[in-house]
Amino acid sequence: MKKIFVFIFITGIISAQTFTVENVTGEASYQKGGEESWKQLQKGTVVENDVTIVTGKKSEVKLSDKNTKFALGESSAVSVSSIKKMSIDDLLLALAMEDMIHAPEKLNKSSDNTAVYGTKEGEVNSPLLKPDDFGLKRLNGAKQLAENGMEESAVVAERETYRKYPDTKKLASYRIYFTDILYKKGLYEEALKEYYEIGKLELSKEEKDKVDAKIESVKMKLVSE
Amino acid sequence: MFFNVNIQSQSSFGLNGHPGNTSQFNSFFYNYEGNISNFSKLRDWGFSAIYGLEFAKSTNSNLYSISVSKTLDNHNLSARFTPGYQKEFLFKTGETIILEDSTSQSLTSDFTYKELFGLGYSYKFSENFSTGFSFRYFNQEFNREAVTAVFNDNPYLVSDNLSEKINFWRGDVGINYFLNERLNFSLASMNLLNFGEKAKDSEFEQYELKKDIGVVFGFGLVPIKRTAINFVYETTNSFQFSANCYLENFTFGFTLFHDKYQSPTIAGLVPSVGYKSELFEVLVSGIKYFSNRNIEHGVSGFVENGLSNIINNPYSYDRLLLTVSFNLNTIPEKSVEFLDVKIDKDIYPTFTENYLDYPFAYGTIVNLTDKYVNVKPLAKIEGINEESIQSPASSIAPHDTAEVPFYIIIPEKYHSDKTALSYADFYLVTENEQPDDQFQKAILVNSSNSWDGRVSDLYYFIKKDIDFSMTNSKKILNENKAILDTLPAVLENFYKAKILFNKFIKNLVYTSDPRATGEYVQFPHETFELKGGDCDDLSVFYSSLLESVGIQTALVDYKSDGTVRHVNLLFNTGLSPGQAKLITKNDTKYFVRESLEGKDEIWLPVETTSLTDFETAWKIGSEKFNKEAVNDFGIAKGKVEIIDVY
Repeated sequence: MKKIFVFIFITGIISAQTFTVENVTGEASYQKGGEESWKQLQKGTVVENDVTIVTGKKSEVKLSDKNTKFALGESSAVSVSSIKKMSIDDLLLALAMEDMIHAPEKLNKSSDNTAVYGTKEGEVNSPLLKPDDFGLKRLNGAKQLAENGMEESAVVAERETYRKYPDTKKLASYRIYFTDILYKKGLYEEALKEYYEIGKLELSKEEKDKVDAKIESVKMKLVSE
Repeated sequence: MFFNVNIQSQSSFGLNGHPGNTSQFNSFFYNYEGNISNFSKLRDWGFSAIYGLEFAKSTNSNLYSISVSKTLDNHNLSARFTPGYQKEFLFKTGETIILEDSTSQSLTSDFTYKELFGLGYSYKFSENFSTGFSFRYFNQEFNREAVTAVFNDNPYLVSDNLSEKINFWRGDVGINYFLNERLNFSLASMNLLNFGEKAKDSEFEQYELKKDIGVVFGFGLVPIKRTAINFVYETTNSFQFSANCYLENFTFGFTLFHDKYQSPTIAGLVPSVGYKSELFEVLVSGIKYFSNRNIEHGVSGFVENGLSNIINNPYSYDRLLLTVSFNLNTIPEKSVEFLDVKIDKDIYPTFTENYLDYPFAYGTIVNLTDKYVNVKPLAKIEGINEESIQSPASSIAPHDTAEVPFYIIIPEKYHSDKTALSYADFYLVTENEQPDDQFQKAILVNSSNSWDGRVSDLYYFIKKDIDFSMTNSKKILNENKAILDTLPAVLENFYKAKILFNKFIKNLVYTSDPRATGEYVQFPHETFELKGGDCDDLSVFYSSLLESVGIQTALVDYKSDGTVRHVNLLFNTGLSPGQAKLITKNDTKYFVRESLEGKDEIWLPVETTSLTDFETAWKIGSEKFNKEAVNDFGIAKGKVEIIDVY
């Protein structure tokens, strides 16, 4: 597997802002706001918060603003709004918000609506992810955010990816990677819950041992707190 | 609390002393003179009689009065027959005649004063204020023996009898004000109206009852529970002080009085003790004067001071009195009463179900009995309800104060174009058919289009016109049946939403609220007919169209748009996340929400005020939602709220 190269130089706290494309290697495109079309990314293009960037195989995009340089490696996707450093509190806020969007509030109102929402007809099942799957690219992008010091943003991007691309939740290595971030940040309860979920996946012996060890470790941490 | 207006025109002196305003006894209220506060707790019929002994040189007994009282709603009528309210005076004229048998005979004068009967009426304006008037009928009878010379051939003297009867009415008015449970004030006239006969013989004129006009002012105070003190002052320079105590079914107390025509300064004492049952009351009272009454008086003093009061004057004797009263109430005594009612919220007629779930008012009520009382609160709003609406019953502990909620039902058919001030009537019902107490309070009833600004309450506007929306939605979808039939079933919701948007919403015009003040929301049929509206109206209309065909919606409340609030819509495509690629290549244009059944579904944000085609409205809606709700943490910070319609 090719290594994903990420370069980032952080000076001070990075907040979401406008970036300029410094260099494009290989195939890269971007999508702005709610538009349906993808446009080819070129050197010098200015990208704003509402832009999503995606790269192809053996491709790389380098971005910069006055304080930050960021490189997105091959087969990755990232929202420009995610390229920012967040605090632990911001992370918790974002996770709570994700849950708020995800779960509809049940109002205390009677309803005579008998409609049944959703149908299984036409379900698209994709048990095997292909390298060009957009969800996988999103996870790659999230991982690169983490590897370059934006670990909180990485977790938020990971969770959103799992919502929109449920099949990516089966990728144990990614989940272990992002859950380790929670562990490292001291978010033990969140980490424990996630490790238990990971334990239900098909894991290699190495992965299983690691997850079991983490679970025990988190338990000890929680007991000692 | 009813007002027995029976103002004693002569003075406020009463045979039973003076009651306090915590009195549980009705006996006091038949004793007109002592009842300067004019207060009665009778709810229906009441009868009373006073029988007494007068300790003169020869003790005699007498029936002093028989009274009847009847209460009708806020009106109280009373009548009193007073055979014992009389005083007779016998004077020697100083003249003597020699009879044929050489014996002598002193000539005498005989004056009799009587109060025969009285009538009273009072009206209670509120729990704190009442007023009324009374008329009382008096009789005075004067007889004097005299000698008249008959001149003829053989002149001689004959005895003669001069007599005159004078009947007259006295009328007075009074008011009574209860500041609170502990303090009350009263004000009444003395001798305000006097009409009837006058003495024809100038000799008797000087002996008529004095009719000095004056005012009686009084106040009552409850310093501690079950006690009362009262003070009454008359502008004719007389006053009374009384103290009473009430313990369960017993009362006891005393009254001290000063009368400017009597000595010493505190002329006497009126002690009283009583017992009460539900049906009757017995009160024993007495009058003890502090000066010697068993002496003869000269006529000069009588002529000089005259007579102001028939039952209490310098010539009255000590008395012992027995009062028996019957409370023949066909209307039971009330068990509970209102202390106050607070309106919790104005009425928005369209929010029908809201008033079933949440009280619109709370009443503070008190249990007047020493038992637990089960209270049924009822309420009715003028113009909305024809019958009272019963709220859940509450059990109130003895003598306890409690807060009870009042709910209301707004009929589905109710509609009003205008906001108006109306009245809410509140009732408390216990074991009787008639309410124990009632309370009326003004309440603002908004027009049917009024909205309280809470986005969650837009639900009521969506729901109210669901039939209209269903008719129109189905009509359009039927017209597009050929297209819909060719689509995979999973895309049905998405394309239905798209067709309905492009048919109805796309062609509307954005217009601000027509009202300068207050929030105003159009019903879907009004937006359809007016061909426009603001963000609330358009979101309500589109939500109603989608909900009517089974597409789940949620309103998005953007509270962060400066002073201008904004509302748009999310709807449920029913697609799973894996199916999102069937409708878009942009994963920022949709959001995943979990259904109540635990299924992840794709929801799309739509900006209804874009008034363009569906695709553009979706694009604008998603960009706004991403920026304000997600990237700026609007949802987590409470600046953006998602409110499911059902």
